[in-house]
Amino acid sequence: MQNDQQRLSLQNRTMLTHPYKRLGGAFSVKSPSVPNFHDRIYSDHSSSDSALVNENPRVNKHHAVEPSSLGQVSPSEHDGNLSVIDLYGDEVDSQRGEVEDEDDDYNYNEDQDGAHSEDLDLAFAEGNLQHVELDGVAAATSKSALSDGVENTHFDRYGFKKQNNHISEAEYDRWWLDYSQYCVRRKHKWQLLLEKSGLPVTDDSPSRFPSKSERLKRYVRKGIPAEWRGNAWWHFARGQEKLNKNKGVYSQLLQKMKQIKEQNPNERQVQDLDIIERDLNRTFPDNIHFQSASYNKEGPPIIKSLRRVLVAFSLYNPKIGYCQSMNFLAGLLLLFLDEERAFWMLVIITSRYLPGVHNINLEGVNIDQGVLMLCVKEYIPEVWSYIKPSIDHHQKNNKTFSPSNNKVLFNMQKNEFLYRLPPITLCTASWFMSCFVGVVPIETTLRIWDCLFYEESHFLFKVSLAVLKLSEHELSKIKPRNNSLNYSWGSNLNQKNGLMGQEDNDMEIFQVIQTFPKTLLNPNEIFEKIIFKRRFNLNKLDQDEIDRCRKFVAAQRLKFKTYGELLGNATSEADLPINNGITDNKETHITSDAVNEALSSEVYGFKKSLAGVHWNNSIKEKVKQMRKRKDRSD
Amino acid sequence: MGSSISKIMGKLFGSKEMKILMLGLDKAGKTTILYKLKLNKIKTSTPTVGFNVETVTYKNVKFNMWDVGGQQRLRPLWRHYFPATTALIFVIDSSARNRLEEAKEELYSIIGEKEMENVVLLVWANKQDLKDAMKPQEVSDFLELEKNLNNQPWCVIGSNALSGQGLVEGLSWISNNTDVPKK
Repeated sequence: MQNDQQRLSLQNRTMLTHPYKRLGGAFSVKSPSVPNFHDRIYSDHSSSDSALVNENPRVNKHHAVEPSSLGQVSPSEHDGNLSVIDLYGDEVDSQRGEVEDEDDDYNYNEDQDGAHSEDLDLAFAEGNLQHVELDGVAAATSKSALSDGVENTHFDRYGFKKQNNHISEAEYDRWWLDYSQYCVRRKHKWQLLLEKSGLPVTDDSPSRFPSKSERLKRYVRKGIPAEWRGNAWWHFARGQEKLNKNKGVYSQLLQKMKQIKEQNPNERQVQDLDIIERDLNRTFPDNIHFQSASYNKEGPPIIKSLRRVLVAFSLYNPKIGYCQSMNFLAGLLLLFLDEERAFWMLVIITSRYLPGVHNINLEGVNIDQGVLMLCVKEYIPEVWSYIKPSIDHHQKNNKTFSPSNNKVLFNMQKNEFLYRLPPITLCTASWFMSCFVGVVPIETTLRIWDCLFYEESHFLFKVSLAVLKLSEHELSKIKPRNNSLNYSWGSNLNQKNGLMGQEDNDMEIFQVIQTFPKTLLNPNEIFEKIIFKRRFNLNKLDQDEIDRCRKFVAAQRLKFKTYGELLGNATSEADLPINNGITDNKETHITSDAVNEALSSEVYGFKKSLAGVHWNNSIKEKVKQMRKRKDRSD
Repeated sequence: MGSSISKIMGKLFGSKEMKILMLGLDKAGKTTILYKLKLNKIKTSTPTVGFNVETVTYKNVKFNMWDVGGQQRLRPLWRHYFPATTALIFVIDSSARNRLEEAKEELYSIIGEKEMENVVLLVWANKQDLKDAMKPQEVSDFLELEKNLNNQPWCVIGSNALSGQGLVEGLSWISNNTDVPKK
């Protein structure tokens, strides 16, 4: 397979300056990562060597044209691009057939219909190394490759389908025309910054970045150049540090995986293997690199990498094992990083940024939802009014209402939402679990990841708040229905009708929160207008605040749980402590009063307010007293 | 004329609205069914983290359909949302014979919940298009609903989310077997 050899040598060239190359070499199969995007798509097609040689100069010729059409990029930038597809070029390239300098006037759709072989080469001219092969394919099977070329324009620069239920291809293209220019400008600034810092960008794949500063933070917030992302994430998340501490661990895990497979050919022994297997082909089915159609029966290499990363992870951390959503995290990482580094990034995300979020009991994600709800209440009270639990919410599960526990109920409400989370968290939980992959459009997701790795997990809360804030307008369109019934605590019938009204509202709110983020095509929409807007005050929300808040919520949830257990027959967290038949039971009455008193004294204080956190150890005492009292009365 | 009559009928009898929870093991086809019903489109299959909710209107009935993540571990996220469900749809991958036992256990653990006591149960024996798919009758026999369910209506219908076969039948069965307050 000459083609394979060619590919290997190409890969080696792309990896020349990467410090991890030696480590990567430990594995028989090089994992796919950005530099090999198109390489992978076509690697299973045969192509003749002569075609490769012949096509090469032509490609370079076309490539040299490109900067002029962009009008922004210096030729040297592209000459230096050995490793990466031209992530900005796909739009511009496909236009060049007709328009040289007037991108703005260009009618994209016409080109699609009138694609001819000249356009084809241009459309493929995405990176001077990769399209060596691409053009080889084009030469060998010009007709079928032609249709492939047209096909490609339906996909974005990472191979994701541009069109989805919420964004049309035309909308995407319109937006991309501007945003690609923005990306080019940003990249130029990054290059200057790196040069200034004495970190020359020789092969368009810098692995060293300046030390943290306000300026660098601003740069990250405005977006890391797409082809640098893998290295930049790795750098900011201190991946190398992690890897150095765990040298050889990944290959050991792969070894273990192999052994397990050999011992149990049906793989049933390890339950996670089964679950992982079912999700592999359901990960990014709209991304060209994950589609099995273009590959032989073994499937795309990236799917194989995904399998290894996920299985290795489940062996590495059995506490987490495999949780749906991790397939998306690992899948996206693999588009930007090689397999081993993707693995360690997954480890870092699930431990440092999202502690406990993917654990079997999912407590981490519940804690984060509690934190988010506190933040919503604090920072965007106008949105909180839409999503806070209504009185009615308690009523659903509490058929036996008596005046005496109304007071308890009312007071418990103060913090109860941290334990019995508002329904909206059904939605927001997945934002955290998948770090917004699939929640917002891909370019927006990537900008979020840039900041996540630079600024840590509080950024996810900021984004969540921004998304909720932006959806306020949509939320305000929802007319409350049967509102009066929400508070009628009377007969069963009324209760049910009230429920339906609440149900309707919930339903519409859910639909807004589920759909709206998917329309946020332009990252700058949420970044510049909300997150970093001075006026919006979100800047006060820092990592320290989130860490503190997480501790508070974790403690609160634990207490609610303890009370629930103390009060008996609370079989699960769905059962509110006060629900458990307290009506005619004097002892429990006392207890719930005590509970209530204890809980209501605890309020989380955000930094900006004068009051600090005034929860204290007295709660422990109170639980002890309650236990004693209960024992005595028994 | 026809449409105005149905409008009048709608006004007289009100339109029904119901909350439907769609459950089942992962990769049973829940989300595909939902979007086939909603958009008449086949969405590429991808695991649901969290849930999807869509309103599907069929005849006079507004079905608020909740499709929640199938992986067992994600269950605690939505289980407190059980109350006020009018009907439960349980989707089974009829071609995954080796997972049928697991599906059965899951089904019984769900209908064993207090909130699910009187809920109408529809089972979609999905993926009927696959050649080794079990027939609805086989699935039904395996689930032993007849033996175990006394006070709630249930039904097993074969379905194919790709073609839409069995989906409308299912919804209309639910609609005929529920009695929710008119609005």
